[in-house]
Amino acid sequence: MTSLPHPRELSQPADVRIRIDSLHRRFQLKDREVVALGDVTFDVADHEFVSLIGPSGCGKSTVLNIAAGLMTPTSGSVHIDGELVTRPLAKVGYIFQKDTTFPWKTVEDNIGIGLAYRGVPAEERRRRVAEMVRMAKLEGFEKAYPAMLSGGMRQRVALMRSFIVEPEVLMMDEPFGALDTHTRLNLHDELLRLWERTRQVILFVTHDLSEAITLSDRIVLLSHRPSRVKAIVDIPLKRPRDVITLRETPEYLEIYRDLWHLLGEEFQLESEG
Amino acid sequence: MRSRRWSIHFWQAVIVIVVLLIWEYGTQVPWITRHIKILDPFFISTPSRIVQRFIELSNPALPVTLPERVLSTLAHTIVGFFVGVSTGFLAGLYLGRDRYLAAVFEPFIIAFNTLPRIALVPLVTLLFGFGSLAKIMMAWLICFFIVFFNTFEGVKNVDRDIVNSARMLGATRGQIMRTVYLPAALGWTFASLTPAISFALIGVVIGEFLGGDQGIGYLIILSLATLESADMMVALIVLAAVGIALALIVRRAERYLLRWQPRYYAPTDGAD
Repeated sequence: MTSLPHPRELSQPADVRIRIDSLHRRFQLKDREVVALGDVTFDVADHEFVSLIGPSGCGKSTVLNIAAGLMTPTSGSVHIDGELVTRPLAKVGYIFQKDTTFPWKTVEDNIGIGLAYRGVPAEERRRRVAEMVRMAKLEGFEKAYPAMLSGGMRQRVALMRSFIVEPEVLMMDEPFGALDTHTRLNLHDELLRLWERTRQVILFVTHDLSEAITLSDRIVLLSHRPSRVKAIVDIPLKRPRDVITLRETPEYLEIYRDLWHLLGEEFQLESEG
Repeated sequence: MRSRRWSIHFWQAVIVIVVLLIWEYGTQVPWITRHIKILDPFFISTPSRIVQRFIELSNPALPVTLPERVLSTLAHTIVGFFVGVSTGFLAGLYLGRDRYLAAVFEPFIIAFNTLPRIALVPLVTLLFGFGSLAKIMMAWLICFFIVFFNTFEGVKNVDRDIVNSARMLGATRGQIMRTVYLPAALGWTFASLTPAISFALIGVVIGEFLGGDQGIGYLIILSLATLESADMMVALIVLAAVGIALALIVRRAERYLLRWQPRYYAPTDGAD
């Protein structure tokens, strides 16, 4: 086991929005106890797109669930804008890997549901939903039910459903993990275009290295379970990024190689342990 | 496809006509009635006699006409059905969400559910007499449990991630109930409605066997006492028609309310 630097030395962004402090989480299984999170600490600054990557089962999603207020840590804490997270906050949006569109609602009703929850008048809701539908290129499918759509279209609906309520912080748990490469690249492009307009804080969980590099400002690399922050890497690729051509630039390839190396050490540990 | 459908209808019509012909004329051949008991008109009457009794039983001069009997059975079934479905649905919805309450009630519910509901007819009659209330109670009891169990399972099976996504979109507890639990459970609830309406009809008819002088069930028992097989056949045919009509109406309603489910529309291939 390599000795890790103190997390706070790894990165110190200026205007912190999300502060994740010494997160520790144990799970009680039937016959044994699993320590998912050893000690996870990092910050996310304003307007930052941060990806969380690591070997499978390292607790990336656990960090996200705790940060979203859907799960409680065994110890440690998450603060968003100074507020301790104990339940879902109104300013935080969340996108799941699994399709969580409401199958009993049409595309437009799905996209508008967050506005309906907030009591936004029907007229304004219609207008904003129409705009989102146009942006997601879902015209003609407004009245369709999710089961009639492809996986990619459904995830687009989920994306728009979160963006329409304009969350200040958006957490995404492998949102494109179940999609084919082509669809995934399209959605990367769409996500980046949406994000360029508003630049909200995004915390993005993935196990796909190229996805993380394409999208992020910084990448937080978690170690094998019980996970700690192994490295925090800046991605200085300039924006706006073209998700296709970006992959051919030498800068991208260099970052990819470095990260692959770091990640590889974890895979090795995984197979040994 | 169309010609195939018509040929199916054609053969169905042929079967009906052949059965009716054998029923009408086969039952008049002494050799047949002597050797094949089921074709003895004493037991199964004949189509012409059944039609004749159908008309006689509908005579407005009678104290209770056939349409009045049908209406009585139908009214008890439908009232019991609606009360049973609504109470069963609400109970399933709330107990399904509250794991603590569900755990407390579980053994009692299982015990009660294993009891054949038909065995409760005498008790219900004892409690509520021979009038309408007893019949409605029977239909209610039956529908309640069928709908309750299905809704309960439906709520327990609601996808946690969909609930969480609603929470993350800012839904209050009430909004989650209305926009997630309720529609998700409805799929399960509706699946139980067709059996519920059929069993409600059974409950009412058995209630009518036992007491009162209304309903189609009473006509069946009466015909047994008077050995009038034509009346029994009239009652059975009407009962079948009522049962089919109720089931069809319920299925129509289900189809409309669950139009978001894939099996109710031809899926289009969504393209990216």
